[in-house]
Amino acid sequence: MGDSPAERLLRSAEGVAYWAAAAPVLGRLPAALGYRIACWRGDWLSRRQPEKRTELARNLRLVLGDQLSPAAAQQATRDWFRLASCEAVDVARLRHGARPLRRLVEIHGREHLEAALAAGKGAILCSAHFGSYNSGFSAIHASGFPVTTIGRWQYKYTARLSSAERRFWDLAYARPVRRHRQRPNIEPWPGRFEVAALAASALRANEVVTISIDAPPLDSDRDRVVEVPFLGRRARLLPGAVTLAQITGAPVLMGFLYRSADYRHQVLEISAPVPMGGETATAFGRCAAEVGAAIQRSPAHWAYWASTADLANLGLIPPGRDRSPAADPLPIPDKRFLPDRTADHVVGSA
Amino acid sequence: METVINDYISRELVQDPALLPLADETSLLESGILDSLSLLRLVVFLEERFGIPVGDRDLLPANFASVNAICGYLRAREPGQLGAVHG
Repeated sequence: MGDSPAERLLRSAEGVAYWAAAAPVLGRLPAALGYRIACWRGDWLSRRQPEKRTELARNLRLVLGDQLSPAAAQQATRDWFRLASCEAVDVARLRHGARPLRRLVEIHGREHLEAALAAGKGAILCSAHFGSYNSGFSAIHASGFPVTTIGRWQYKYTARLSSAERRFWDLAYARPVRRHRQRPNIEPWPGRFEVAALAASALRANEVVTISIDAPPLDSDRDRVVEVPFLGRRARLLPGAVTLAQITGAPVLMGFLYRSADYRHQVLEISAPVPMGGETATAFGRCAAEVGAAIQRSPAHWAYWASTADLANLGLIPPGRDRSPAADPLPIPDKRFLPDRTADHVVGSA
Repeated sequence: METVINDYISRELVQDPALLPLADETSLLESGILDSLSLLRLVVFLEERFGIPVGDRDLLPANFASVNAICGYLRAREPGQLGAVHG
């Protein structure tokens, strides 16, 4: 499928229909059936968007190269679309105190989070735009940990979305997720200089603050990025999570939500605290290495394969391969269909 | 109080030597001295040094616009005490 206005409109309408009508129904079906139908929709999307599929496969090959066999790359591409569709079902299962989702999400490493909070300085849970990370954060909150997220709701910042579309994504996506947060998202953006202090306030209240540390930096953040080894290259990332930890004394843990082969069960793996010794870039490098390892373990879970502009911005592929985002007035590029896989961006400073 | 805060900002937060010596009325935001994380460092310092907790609602640009603005904010929080002790 190309990218004409009519095609974009059609794609957007399909996304709205799926999130507004189909996903809530799928979320009430027996899980095996609901997630199977979501996978069918993912396969259909994959067939309908050959350019996106090609872009995904090319980016996987460019970054992971020989680490991924052709067959594995093909499966990762197919799964990427399936996981995007399954995310909507996860959100639909956040009703009733998130019990329908919690039945399917096993949390490993709760003891690390409990031990971290026992010290009374809160905990920073670093993750990535990986799988249904937002629903995973909700599952943690629903299981008894007070969670606040540092992250932008991307529909608020993406160019070319109408106010009606923004309202829709707020209702269909943000609201169910937001219900399982201790505080409203702390949303970094140029000029909002209170972000880190608000996060520190949540940590002082002994809460869990989640951050996805793999977001491409905004133009205004350029002077704060560090270059760290990431996926076999050097990536430009914002080390704000580590700086926040160093200032507040809060421990940093890593958390990744993996979807199992049956697509309905998920495992949220929470690590022991990451050592924060050394320079900020060194400590942050340890966190980035954990993200890289999660992506290499399960490539289809990473949202950014579909965004050539973001991968170039991170420094993972050469610039100049991008086709569209340059036209955007905002530094966040237009996404293929909001909010699948790309609902928020998170950085550590603003 | 101005001297204490100016010294801290000059020593810990100013990255560009061209901004030194720092005038008390220099805009900390427009000059790029304060960003999200440096504000947090400053808040931690102010709380420890002056014993005044800075609430979320006080994290306004106006309260941290300059050394003078910070002092004005702190004096408003504790009228009569800070001026006598630190001023």
